[in-house]
Amino acid sequence: MQRLFFIIRLFKEYVLGASLVLVSLLLLSLNDNSQIRQIRSMTLGFVGTLQNAVSFIPNFFALKAENSLLRKSNVDLMDEVNQLREARLENLRLRGLLGLRESINYPIVAAEVVGKTSNPQRNTITLNVGTDAGIKPNMPIVTDRGLVGRIIATSANYSIGQLVLNRDFRAAAKIQRSRVDGILAWEGGQNSLLKNVAKTLDVGVGDAVVTSEYSSMFPANIKIGVVAKVTEQPGDLFKRIEISNSVDFSKLEEVFVIQYHPDPERIQLEEKILR
Amino acid sequence: MNKYLRFVLISLILLLLQTKILQFLSIEGVTPDLFVIWIVYIAIKNGQAPATVAGFAIGLLLDLVTGEFVGLSALAKTLCGFTSGYFYNVNKTPQTLGSYRFLVVVFIASLVHNILYFLIFTMGTELTFSEVLIRYGVTSTLYTLALSLLPMLVFARKLKVT
Repeated sequence: MQRLFFIIRLFKEYVLGASLVLVSLLLLSLNDNSQIRQIRSMTLGFVGTLQNAVSFIPNFFALKAENSLLRKSNVDLMDEVNQLREARLENLRLRGLLGLRESINYPIVAAEVVGKTSNPQRNTITLNVGTDAGIKPNMPIVTDRGLVGRIIATSANYSIGQLVLNRDFRAAAKIQRSRVDGILAWEGGQNSLLKNVAKTLDVGVGDAVVTSEYSSMFPANIKIGVVAKVTEQPGDLFKRIEISNSVDFSKLEEVFVIQYHPDPERIQLEEKILR
Repeated sequence: MNKYLRFVLISLILLLLQTKILQFLSIEGVTPDLFVIWIVYIAIKNGQAPATVAGFAIGLLLDLVTGEFVGLSALAKTLCGFTSGYFYNVNKTPQTLGSYRFLVVVFIASLVHNILYFLIFTMGTELTFSEVLIRYGVTSTLYTLALSLLPMLVFARKLKVT
């Protein structure tokens, strides 16, 4: 402190001069006229040029803080991008489902797939809707892409759906172009089968397969898939028709349950005759 | 009379002369600056620090009286006092005051004062630096220099008598 006073005393004229110049400049800055505005803009320009000139010198402390901030910002942005991407995909799916809702003439209930059971024999899904939402066994499950399966069990708030890719699943189906009927079934693998189609009938690769009017469980004309392969075994009466399903069962998230009730009179009559 | 009181009194008289009388001696808007001569006198007589303080005080007083650009005269006259303080020599005060050296100091101090003052005062106008320097800086300096001949001759006469 003493040393400081000594230095001040030694350069008292300069200290005094600088102090009074500083006070004068402060007084000048209180004015608000064109000259002061000009000086302010010149000073800003000068300081900006100076900062620009020395900006190539890296400030390591500032860089460290900036890096940390950027890293945090990067994580936040990544999270936001993921959320947006998810929202976009959900939006696309929902748009498709909305289109389906308008194309089906029966009441439908939207449901989310909350569980999946995959085994080589029986694939099922668990939905977050049950009897409280009006869901009953045998109701069809669909998406905008096509047939998913049918309800096989229900509780108050949940239900189990049997997928098309299930050995116990059967549905009456037809080739849309030639109106050839068959039974939709699955024996494992990626594709379903259209069974009981005689060798003489007109079926070609690429033909669309839809649910048939003969079905007592599904409304007619729900898309199932397209014919992927047709083979004929010697000594066999029927064609082996493989169907590539239009629904991607590995990506099921939102589905609709169609509140479809087959005509009881028809069911009763068919059961009576078949017995 | 108290030294400081005398300083204040002379400053007030000069303020009256500068603001009320010297405007009649104005040539093309340029008037001599009595305060510069007064500050140079203080610097040669008392040194750099008193001249700097006197410059600031007189400048501030002038700013407050005219009220047009507070701080500008204070800044210019502080630097004027500071510059002229470099010519302070305690052993040669009468000789400096009564010789051409007084004129040299007035010229330098006045030039510093006027360049700074008019450079800021004319900022934002269409006048260039050289125009400001010649039209206001040098002419005003020469006018002040001419006026400073009077006190120099008085001090020279006083020096001859003693």
